Amino acid sequence: MQANFKIIVASLLLFTSLTHADTRIKGTGGVSSISGGGGGGLIPWATLGGLATQDQRSITGFITRANVDDFTLDVSGVALNLHNRVEFSLARQDFTIKANDAEISQDKYGLKIKVAGDLIFGPFPQVSIGVEKSALRDPATARALGARDDDGVDFYLSTAKAWIDGPLHRTSMLNFNIRSTKANQYGLLGYGGDNQDREFMLEAAAAMFLSRSVAIGIEYRQKPDNLSALIEEDASDVFLAWFPNKHLSLTAAYVRLGDIAGAQNQNGFYFSIQGGL
Amino acid sequence: MNTLVLFRSCRLFATMIGLATLIGCATTKPGETLYQRLGSAEGIANITELFVLEIANDDRVIAYFEDSNVQRFREKFNEHLCMITDGPCNYSGDTMVDIHVGMNVTEGAFTAIVEDLIEAMNKADVAIGTQNQVLDRLARLRPEIIYL
Repeated sequence: MQANFKIIVASLLLFTSLTHADTRIKGTGGVSSISGGGGGGLIPWATLGGLATQDQRSITGFITRANVDDFTLDVSGVALNLHNRVEFSLARQDFTIKANDAEISQDKYGLKIKVAGDLIFGPFPQVSIGVEKSALRDPATARALGARDDDGVDFYLSTAKAWIDGPLHRTSMLNFNIRSTKANQYGLLGYGGDNQDREFMLEAAAAMFLSRSVAIGIEYRQKPDNLSALIEEDASDVFLAWFPNKHLSLTAAYVRLGDIAGAQNQNGFYFSIQGGL
Repeated sequence: MNTLVLFRSCRLFATMIGLATLIGCATTKPGETLYQRLGSAEGIANITELFVLEIANDDRVIAYFEDSNVQRFREKFNEHLCMITDGPCNYSGDTMVDIHVGMNVTEGAFTAIVEDLIEAMNKADVAIGTQNQVLDRLARLRPEIIYL
């Protein structure tokens, strides 16, 4: 897998011309979500990752670690932005159960298309549609817990609007998603179960730039509860993101992931670093 | 839905915004125009001068200004900024569309100009909240400027 990943990253880099692809306003590409695509952390946003304009292409790569009471989640991935219209993303998630050092891994493939509007300019919000395909590398845990499938596809509709002169005269943004999913804990515990099947879930985010380089925000992700053996709860986070320049971002967050696989109230910290060209 | 989780996160976020308010916006006086907050005629002239210097040193956009008369640009931008911030001026230049038609100003070039103006306002010590009010008003002109 590691070798495959490197080949894919290398081809993406070759595919992207390394001319200036940074001419959208700093921060408007957001950061990298745990699924690989541009967004906040726990959820994708309607914005496309990177700072390519309609005349450019850009690429972002990231590493993320979330460390909650009984688990860690490590994610790495890349996203390619074509003309601020289409985003392809790829991510690998490694979920570790601290108690026995067991690991569950899955691959995420994302496609997001901006269909209308603009994040900042004009009266209409930016609207994007997206697909996330996930596949578990080892389905044993998911099967044992009663999941129906070891891979699945999510569809979502995402809307984002930023106001340059927002509340407190700070540039601020709201994002809402509606997602159709069968995933149990982002797919780490498989797809579908005895309780429910495909459902619509709501996701939301709000962010504010305190300065040109520092943003704070909040995210909420509603989640299904498909496995009768376990309780799955909604997730949320509060984040602080720093954009020292147009090619780098560092994000720190406090995440509340709720009950996961029988372990209650999983809270902890989340760190992410993103580089972009 | 775990409303407690949501409630706690919202409360934390509200606290962060509250702190931001304390840090950020203690300077706005009611009844003051944006023009006054920029330092009236003197402040606007200073920002214009700094803006012209930023553009002159910006390789990303300087080509667009090859055939421009710098003195005229300075004068008309000053007037425009004054008017758009509710100052006592009337913009006497050409319309945004007339100026930019045929120039094919890209989205990227527009961003570069926005960044130059931000840098000019930074150098003029304009507070970020005031900057955002100026940028918000100028951003509305974008459809009359790019890809014409």
